[in-house]
Formats: sequence, C-alpha cells, structure tokens
Amino acid sequence: MHIPDGYLSPETYVPFYGVSLSIWAVALKKMKKTLSVRHIPYLAMASAFSFLIMMFNVPIPDGTTGHAVGGGIIAILLGPWTAVIAVTVSLIIQALVFGDGGITCLGANSFNMAIVLPFVSYWAFNLIRGRSVSGPRLYIAGFLSGWLGLSVAAACCGTELGIQPLIAHGPGGRPLYAPYPLKVAFPAMVLGHMGAFSIVEGAITALVLVYFVKHEPDMIYAFRRKEA
Amino acid sequence: MENKIPGFLLEKPSSPPAMGRLRTSFIENGIHHVANIIKTGYIQWETASEDNFFQQIDARVKVLFLLFFVLIVSLKKDIVPEALIGVFVLILTLMARLDVISFYKRVLFFGFIFGFLIALPSAFNVITKGTIILPVLSLSRPHGFWIYRIPKEIGITREGAYGVAMLTLRVMDSLSISLFVLYTTPFPEIIKALKVLKVPDSFLMIITLAYKYIFIFAKTVEDMHLAIKGRLAGHISDSDARKWIAGRMAFIFKKTRLRCEEIFNAMLGRGFSGDVRIYRARRLRARDWITGAVLFMSGIIFLLI
Repeated sequence: MHIPDGYLSPETYVPFYGVSLSIWAVALKKMKKTLSVRHIPYLAMASAFSFLIMMFNVPIPDGTTGHAVGGGIIAILLGPWTAVIAVTVSLIIQALVFGDGGITCLGANSFNMAIVLPFVSYWAFNLIRGRSVSGPRLYIAGFLSGWLGLSVAAACCGTELGIQPLIAHGPGGRPLYAPYPLKVAFPAMVLGHMGAFSIVEGAITALVLVYFVKHEPDMIYAFRRKEA
Repeated sequence: MENKIPGFLLEKPSSPPAMGRLRTSFIENGIHHVANIIKTGYIQWETASEDNFFQQIDARVKVLFLLFFVLIVSLKKDIVPEALIGVFVLILTLMARLDVISFYKRVLFFGFIFGFLIALPSAFNVITKGTIILPVLSLSRPHGFWIYRIPKEIGITREGAYGVAMLTLRVMDSLSISLFVLYTTPFPEIIKALKVLKVPDSFLMIITLAYKYIFIFAKTVEDMHLAIKGRLAGHISDSDARKWIAGRMAFIFKKTRLRCEEIFNAMLGRGFSGDVRIYRARRLRARDWITGAVLFMSGIIFLLI
C-alpha cells in the first residue's frame, strides 16, 4: 500500500500533504499537552515499535507469509493520536532509507496508513466491543478493527490511484501517472486487501490484544480512555 | 546369542513431523527482513561516511536538491526529459564514486517491480485505449460485464506502452535521486537538514531517536527469531506460530515502553528541561553554494526542456 513516487499527480499529492500536515500538527500538539516533556522518547519508541511490527512475518493459510502494518493495534494500545505520529515516522524512515513509498506520496501514504487506519480501527474497536473488557466479543472487535482499518485505508489508496487517469492524462488519453481507472484500481486494492492483508492485520491486532488483556490490561489505552 | 542392543534402539522411530518437514518460512522471512534492514543501514552509513566530493557537501544542499528534483520528475510528462534526468543522476553517482552496480541493481529492481511490472497490464487496450501495436489475442466477439468491456481484439497499444515506459522511468528517477542523497549523506544529517523546511525540532528529534532504536531493537528481533529457530525440533502449526509472533510483539512493545522511561531519565539526568533545540548548523562553504547553484540551474533546465 506504500504508493511510490510517480504514481500520483501533483494535483493529488499536494492537497494530501496539506491535510496530513495539519493532522500531524494537531497530533504533535496533543501529545505535547498530554505528556509534556516526556512526549519525545514516548513517540520515538512508539515509532520504533510501529516499524518493528512490520519485521514479523505472519504465516497465512495459503502457505506464504505476510506482515501487518500495525496501525490498528498501536491505536488500541497507545491511542489514535500517538499512532498518527508513530506510523508517520515509520513511513518517513521507510521512504527515506528503504525506498518503500515515495517522497512526493508521503502525505497520501500517511493519510491512508497513519491517519485513516488508526482512527477507523480505534473507532471500530470501541464500537464493536461496547463495554466488554474480555471474552470473544472483545477479540472479535480486535480482529474486525484491524481488518476494517486496513480495508478502509486500501479503499482510500485505490481511490487516490484510480482518479489519476481522470485528472492527469496526455494527448490521446495516455495515462501520465497511475494508469488504472477507478473501476480497476478500487476493486483491486479493496478486494486484494479484504481477502489477504487485512486478515493478517486483523489477526495480529486480535492476537496481541489477547496477550495484553490476559497479562497487562492496564497498558491498553482504549480501556483506560473509555473508563475515564 | 543374547541381543545386547538397547531396547529403545530397536523401537520403531517416532513418526516424522507433520508434513514431513519443518515449516519455518515465517522465521526465515523474519530473519531475512531484519538482516536486510541492518545491511541496508550499514551500507548507507558506510558510503555516506566516505571522503568524496558529494559526501562533503552540506546536507541542506542535498535535501533541497532531493525535493526539487523529485518534484521536477513528477512534473515532467514526456519520456525524453525523464531519460535525461536519469542520465544526470548517473553522472552524479559516478562523481560521488558510489558503487554504481549495486546502486543501480537496487534502482532497477524497484523500478522493475513498482514501475514496469505493476503498470504492464495497463499497456493493453483493455485498460488504455489507443492504436494497437502488438496484437495478442483475438476473441470471437467483444464481451461486457457490468461496467467492464473486453474488446474483440486484445493487444498492447502505443499509448499504453508509452505510459508504462513513462511510469517506469519516473519511478526509477525518483528512486535514484533519493538513493543518491541517502548514499552520500548520513541519515541523522538528512533529518537535521529538514530544519530548513521549518520542521519542528521536537519532530526531528523523534525521528532521529526512532531511527537509532530501530537498529538496536532489530537486533533483539533477530535474536528472537534465531532463538526459536535453534529450539525448534518439530513442526510448528500456523496457529502456534501466530501466537508466538503476537507474544514477541507484545514483548517488543514492553521493551520500547521500558526504554522510553530509561531515555527520559537519561535526558533529565543531562539537564533536559523540555526545550528541544537541534544545534545550529554550520555556515555553508563556498563549495556548498557553488554545488547548490549548479544543481539548481540544472533543475531549471530540466524544467524548461
């Protein structure tokens, strides 16, 4: 889902930078206010954790392995605003150091994976679990939050790619950026994720949640927040 | 004659693990992933620390070059200027005395996957309408399903092929520019240089700290994978593997939380009062200004082509 440079037109990536910049600013301000001077090591370690989640390859039923983005579980464990900064920093390091995702597309990638994914996951988790703090309903909420978060993020990504032939094309209709129209890009991204990557994201969210509910429920931000 | 062979040796060997083999792809892939990250970080650190011309240029000049050129690459709408930018970056790579083969191996690999391979189906007239230059398949009649139409004649169009070439070149150009800057500048210097874009110091500090600790924790993650690999004697089911991964993730999470406290205490111990200020960068030297001006003028020329 990391969009590389060259796939998005300036008409798309500039507004996405604008949106993401304002949300990063709000997130940073909120974290500074909540954590005071402690926010720097806290967010740095959350960012490192966000990056490290992707190093674990999870076996999936077709015999291969895949890795989770981790936006959902970070939002549940640390809160959605922390997840915004943590996943953004992880995306910046991936784009600059590992060439995974483009520099011009950082705003759009961040919007999909660092903003949409954590917030959708967090809201879905709280909505589905209701008041339960253990039991199957909680774990279903964990799975569905990760699954839904990544699927919605994929839908955003598919839309961003799919509108490119409409807004930027050369003479004779030749595509200048992402070449697939919305009717191809959107279902390809959404169905591809719903059937595979989102399942990994959901499974990881649920399994890590099971661990924390059993051993250290006090560390789960979503529980603390709802009780407060 | 009395049989002196111990009984347990005469017993039928226990059945082999399910499937007859150890399924450890998740461990192998995990180790490979971590090793790749450590290797990439090390190679970049090593090449960026060399004593060549571009390595000595101020990071601010190179960061502005990166942003300016990536922007130019995204604005260009024809193959010729994209190809010329590619040649220009190749010249810079040679001037920086980087290992051109390993550099372009990486650029070509990513360019092939993210540029060529992903875009290739769009070269067909099913996606991009236009003049067919390479017919591939002929159906008895056109087919239609909901909003999708499959024409009678299927083939690669001129417009589609042009689009694929354009996208592949653009992906390769952007990547080679990014890698060029990364291979000639240490990552913490790149982050500090972002100050010229008015990025808050606290945010830069978060990125720098996260980057350092990613490598420290990567080693821990590698050790975890090696430890389970060393202990594994039989088949591990996918479900058990997922549980193990979830447990290790939780462990890493707790370790990062613990390290957060340690870092914070160390910061307080050094007199940290909450005011983050990344030190003022040194003045630009004449060669920084000259290189910056040359790169800027080259960019303007590419914009005008």
